[in-house]
Amino acid sequence: MKLTQVTRVLRSKNAGPSTTTLDLMFVDQAGYVLATTSPSLTPAHIAGLYRVPVDKVRVIHFPEALAIKVSLPRRVIAGSPGDRDVYGAQQHGPILGIEL
Amino acid sequence: MSNAIERLRQQVVQDGNLQPLRVLCGSGALGNGIPRAALARGFQQKPHFVGCDMGSIDPGPYYLGTGKIGTSERVTRSDLEQVLLGCRSADIPLLIGTAGTAGSILHVEQVVKMVRDVAALHGLHFKLAWIHADIAASVVIEAIGEQSVRPLGHMPDLTADDVTNCRAVVGQMGVEPFQRALLEGADVVIAGRACDTAIFAAIPLMLGYPAATSLHLSKIIECSSLCCVPGGSDAILGTIEGETFVLESMNPDRIVTPMSAAAHSLYEESDPYIIHEPDGVVTLRNVRFEDIDGRRVRGSGAQWVPHTQHTIKIEGSAYEGERAILSAATADPNVIAHLSEILKAMERVVAETLAQTEVGEYRLWFRKYGIDGVVDWPHPPETPPREVFILGECVAESADTAKAVLTVVKQKMLHFGFPGRTTTAGNLAFPMTPPEMAIGPAYRFRVYHVMDVADSGALFPVFHEQI
Repeated sequence: MKLTQVTRVLRSKNAGPSTTTLDLMFVDQAGYVLATTSPSLTPAHIAGLYRVPVDKVRVIHFPEALAIKVSLPRRVIAGSPGDRDVYGAQQHGPILGIEL
Repeated sequence: MSNAIERLRQQVVQDGNLQPLRVLCGSGALGNGIPRAALARGFQQKPHFVGCDMGSIDPGPYYLGTGKIGTSERVTRSDLEQVLLGCRSADIPLLIGTAGTAGSILHVEQVVKMVRDVAALHGLHFKLAWIHADIAASVVIEAIGEQSVRPLGHMPDLTADDVTNCRAVVGQMGVEPFQRALLEGADVVIAGRACDTAIFAAIPLMLGYPAATSLHLSKIIECSSLCCVPGGSDAILGTIEGETFVLESMNPDRIVTPMSAAAHSLYEESDPYIIHEPDGVVTLRNVRFEDIDGRRVRGSGAQWVPHTQHTIKIEGSAYEGERAILSAATADPNVIAHLSEILKAMERVVAETLAQTEVGEYRLWFRKYGIDGVVDWPHPPETPPREVFILGECVAESADTAKAVLTVVKQKMLHFGFPGRTTTAGNLAFPMTPPEMAIGPAYRFRVYHVMDVADSGALFPVFHEQI
């Protein structure tokens, strides 16, 4: 099952200028459970997709909203010369292809 | 004449009991065009006060560095006019936080001037207060020496050099400076950099409403109707009733659901279970949201854990140089296939060309839209795109140098020879000429840290004026 088939929101945003967060909100409980138990949504796998140190990646399960939050370091501080995405609102691309 | 806050206290404290307190968020981003119908509906609900957030760190370091406002002056003035007229007509306090995008003294001054202008235009009279949030470099450097400054997120440790290189350092004030302004008689408060929650929690807390309820409500409504389905920027009403609060969008087409209210605590936070405040944390582990009538929700269950050590977030923006950009594009498969090596060659060619002149230091970046313009992907795309847009960015010690670098890149790249080239009349499409332009100074956040403080009173001075 593809991640995009079980989510209703897949988004990214800065949480402060040095952190990107990814919010994954699921259509239903079944998709949420599938995702929270999948090896594709572990810190190690996500660290590889974004080329950041695995110990800096946090994955938080948030059952109240059927959601998973991921936070990871930005490679460039938001808005510095050479940055690609000041608000960080388009950094969810690398997880779109995830198979659960 | 009594203070606005005293009049409010007399209204909501009856026989020693606190009555429901109606808090209207007029805007989560004042200056971007407040939807008028929902704001008017909000004023019809007879709010006890109105709060508006006006800034954020999200737009980047330019605004804090330059002191410029990120929103259109025309729209900002019009938004201020709407909330000022509404609040003065109802004679209720208006609190605005993070004035002018980044909340430095320069931003506060510009917003205060707009408020004076609007008041003069409409013959309004009230007590205006404004609060500065700039933190002197010496204060931060002393705190570094006392080891009471820590990085936030993934920032490196702060050095004195970082601080002295900043054009401005601001601290995020909590509720105390707002409360001081109100106790000293303010009807309208224009605050520099402030915690979003402080704008909405300052009054409930000074009137005695529960801290956890007040702060949790504030955290949700500071983004106006973003917590709704569908989310939007319409005014939202939050009503504190005992240990619970009620959320209601002032746009009838936006509904709050238990799920949408809970999901809002994910937004722009690295941990959805904690709200960090200068004097403690709100934990959201036991929060409950219940549907009331299909469009309103009642929230409860947050817990307040006070800290003995008061801390503030500090933000500082340092000048990096002058910036120029180049817009160019290609629809040629060979150029696209060789683009990375062409751009690599450009770095060398431009260095050689400019070495013959008295050019200073510069830094150069290329983003290849269609390939890696938006995301720093781990792999190239599986199929090459049909077209690619190339954005060149140069930051140098002068605008002349930055522009010279990109002017050279433009022409050398247009006619650059590479293996397999068929586009011998030109490798690039320019959407207009000149395709290179100097766009002003570039900045970088070098301070995004948390600092222990003993007394926020001295850091956030309040000024008053009778309008």
